[in-house]
Amino acid sequence: MSINLTLHTSPEVPLEAEVLCTDKLIGLTGSEIEKLPVEHGNRQVSVADFFTVKGSPDDSISIEGDLSKVKHLGAAMASGKLTISGNVGSHLGAGMTGGKILVEGDAGDWVAPEMQGGSVEIKGNAGHLVGSAYRGSPIGMSGGEILVHGDAKNEAGHAMRNGIIVIGGKSGDFAGVNMLAGSIFLLGETGIRIGAGMKRGTLVTMSKTSMLPTFSYSCRYQPAYLRMYLIYLQELGFSVSDEQLFGFYHRWCGDAIEMNRGEILAHDF
Amino acid sequence: MSDNIKTVKNATCTFCGCVCDDMELTVDLDAKRITKAKNACVLGRAWFAEHTIQDGPAAMIDGKEVTLEEAIEEAAQVLTSAKFPITYGLSDTTCEAQRQAVAITDFIRGSIDTTTSVCHGPSGLAFQGVGESTMTLGEVKNRADFIMYWGGNPAESHPRHFTRYTVTPKGMFTPNGKKDRTVVLVDVRKTPSTPVADIFLQVKPGKDFELAWAMRALVKGHKVDSSIENETGVSLEVLEDLVQRMKNCNYGVLFMGMGLTMTRGRHFNSGAIMALAADLNEFTHFVAKPVRGHGNVTGADNVVSWQTGYPFGVNFSKGYPRFNPGEFTTVDTLSRCDADAALIIASDPAANFPQAAINHLGSIPVVSFDTKETATSKLAHVAFRTSTYGINTGGTVYRMDDVPITLRPAFESPFPSDEDILTPLRKRVQEIVIGKSKAKGAGAGVTRAASPVK
Repeated sequence: MSINLTLHTSPEVPLEAEVLCTDKLIGLTGSEIEKLPVEHGNRQVSVADFFTVKGSPDDSISIEGDLSKVKHLGAAMASGKLTISGNVGSHLGAGMTGGKILVEGDAGDWVAPEMQGGSVEIKGNAGHLVGSAYRGSPIGMSGGEILVHGDAKNEAGHAMRNGIIVIGGKSGDFAGVNMLAGSIFLLGETGIRIGAGMKRGTLVTMSKTSMLPTFSYSCRYQPAYLRMYLIYLQELGFSVSDEQLFGFYHRWCGDAIEMNRGEILAHDF
Repeated sequence: MSDNIKTVKNATCTFCGCVCDDMELTVDLDAKRITKAKNACVLGRAWFAEHTIQDGPAAMIDGKEVTLEEAIEEAAQVLTSAKFPITYGLSDTTCEAQRQAVAITDFIRGSIDTTTSVCHGPSGLAFQGVGESTMTLGEVKNRADFIMYWGGNPAESHPRHFTRYTVTPKGMFTPNGKKDRTVVLVDVRKTPSTPVADIFLQVKPGKDFELAWAMRALVKGHKVDSSIENETGVSLEVLEDLVQRMKNCNYGVLFMGMGLTMTRGRHFNSGAIMALAADLNEFTHFVAKPVRGHGNVTGADNVVSWQTGYPFGVNFSKGYPRFNPGEFTTVDTLSRCDADAALIIASDPAANFPQAAINHLGSIPVVSFDTKETATSKLAHVAFRTSTYGINTGGTVYRMDDVPITLRPAFESPFPSDEDILTPLRKRVQEIVIGKSKAKGAGAGVTRAASPVK
């Protein structure tokens, strides 16, 4: 049996609850979990002030309620499974190294910034800066996978170093900006200036998008490895059409201002 | 005009970020008016001539006059009982007052943000990502032979920028003034600044980033497709010529306006310009600088950086400073209904923020500091009326190139300065916070200021 937390009181101001993470709860009883500290604005309170805790500890946690004002859930998580039935606030899974986070609703900004491993799946929409670097930091996500079935806002994969990000719906501007390596799949409509300043890595877009003047056209081809990726995404529940699976892709390389070793693969309609 | 006339030499105009410190003010002390402001530009003349002392109480609670002591006590209680208090504004007050505001925010474990976040905040973000090649305006006057303004209209926003620093003045290495300089303007339309420029690039709206990116590519020796003209409105030939001029100049300056920071792309637009300056340093000396608006917004950046380590959007809820624009910046904390109390100093967010933010501001207790009645002071729970910095109050302000300048006030105001109220407010907040901390027991919730304050 897993631990189940239900939000019984909506926080008036942001609630920072990085303690609600599988690794930090292992070995604790329900009453011990209730006494753990969380920060309600500038006040330190206990988990019990906001959550009802049920179940016995193992490596999975489920949290229910509108958690859109609850931040840092699953931060630095290394193993186990965290399931969130509802919306969740910013910094979900920040810096996580392993385990799986599943969000049934929408997520706020900074989904899994600087994550190193593991998996985050958002059934709804995500905010800005999915898998990004924090401001002032040179490297964003460096491993693992982030799967957003809905839309995502600007700067998805900002300075990402490794791993995979999939945006099933619309994506904002500057996806893959300053990307160092890794793969980003933009299956819906994309914003502008994708891949600006990218050094290496792959950006795949299924919609018509304008290229920056520093990207140069390479060729039109059918990359075999891409088909394997797309079949994997189909298995994960993303909508991938036969035209996308078996179609041609235009390859652009850039960003010439940086190392020029990145690629944007744009589906040929 | 009365006979009671005073002249103030070398006074400082705090209207815009130029903070020109060569004003000669003629003051009618009986009428409490400045009758003449020699050397001032059209904006400065209006700033001085239209300054009057508005009658009204120095302190109000819910619109009723109270003593300063009562208002300070109420403000301290509001701020210390809040769970997510925010401090905002600060760009039209002295560094001394800003310092007290940072200390108060530190004690109450709130968030501090300045008008930078709705002005050149994106440039602040870009500094972190790209780095800054910088200078003072004195250097520009004496050395710069290539000046480029991008996304700004200084003839109307900073009228003396051209005449004091960048276009007409004769400098040590620019003895012939304008003849020794190439002036370039990049904007989406012709403005009153355009006639000053030797070269005017009319970029399509929202295409600044693409244009800057193409210029970076040319500087680095990469080919750019001729379709750039269709994309940005500027032909490849013009760009190639411009880049050659930039590479061949002795000292180049890129001035950034809010046409870059407040349009689509924001910090990436500023970042592209700073990166362009960095790229050009392979060939010659190049610097980039934002043209700041409010009189002491640069001081706000400097003071908040000095005290917290970060320029704006700083949060103290954990007892130490954390920086995250988008999370702790005021438009965001208000629009998301996060804040539960606000300390607004020398700013009027109720008049110019997005409606969702204004609605939330109206639903929480607000402590306001303003020289006149404003939309914010009208909705404030505690409203202080203060004197105007630079005209009635002395202190220090920072010019847009981070040079500190001393203020020489013209005449006294019946109202106290921001610092006069913020200092006892900080002391009272400190007493309450330390009292609560002691009541909880030693070591629990101990708070201290980021740096010692008098």
